[in-house]
Amino acid sequence: MAESPTQGRPNLDWRLLELILVAIGAVPGALIRWQAAGVYFGDGDNVVVNVAGAFILGLLVGRGVDARWQLLVGTGFCGSLTTFSAWMVDCVVLMAAGQWLQAAGLLGITLGLGLGFGALGVLLGRLLRRPRPSQSP
Amino acid sequence: MSEVVTPAPLYWEAILVALGAIPGAWLRLRVVNHFEPVVPHKHWGTFVVNVSAAFFLGLFSGLHALQLKACSGVDGTAPMMLLVGVGFFGSLSTFSTFVVELLNTLQSRQFLQFVGLMVFSLVIGLLAAAAGYQLGLSRG
Repeated sequence: MAESPTQGRPNLDWRLLELILVAIGAVPGALIRWQAAGVYFGDGDNVVVNVAGAFILGLLVGRGVDARWQLLVGTGFCGSLTTFSAWMVDCVVLMAAGQWLQAAGLLGITLGLGLGFGALGVLLGRLLRRPRPSQSP
Repeated sequence: MSEVVTPAPLYWEAILVALGAIPGAWLRLRVVNHFEPVVPHKHWGTFVVNVSAAFFLGLFSGLHALQLKACSGVDGTAPMMLLVGVGFFGSLSTFSTFVVELLNTLQSRQFLQFVGLMVFSLVIGLLAAAAGYQLGLSRG
């Protein structure tokens, strides 16, 4: 065990920690999405959670956080809070019902608000970024 | 005959959602990590999980819609839908990373790539969801 070459790749302890952090973030993310959207796809839409998740991930990316926070809040919480598949299926269900205007609206509003609030999150995150003395000359 | 359906307690439903969400998030991490070192553009990993989740969620919703039609009056908390639909596929796919990757292409002024990634993801995502949904509806 002592001579196992683990340099350059994550070791088992880190992999396990990765999985634990992602799982701890994913559970509240999914529960909030479920409660915020309602039980059925097609009934409740995911606009609010998707836009909120894009904003929070934008904050993380703009500020810059270490790998553990990225895994817990970014990959786990935001990744699980937001959903692409339910968004697509919601649009398809609307289209199948002949409600093309609503489908286009859901598509455009989610994308537009997501990009807008995501960009706002990145900009705010940059303001919150701590000055790093190691990077200054 | 009207049968009174007693809804399952909320905590039991929450456990189902959580049990589905954890492997969904793990699989997403695995796929994204797999694509990141292989190809120079990280967003293909997100694209793969999003499109495949859209197809399978569409399939699942199609099957579920038929099931609902067959036995009308069933309560809206089908355990499989909570576990697989809301939990697993909802967690497998992600919107936030998709947005951040689009913003990254904008920031590096790759406008063609921005439009390309956006249109391609949405068109393929919608087609996958529609194909899954139709397939689900056709399989009674």
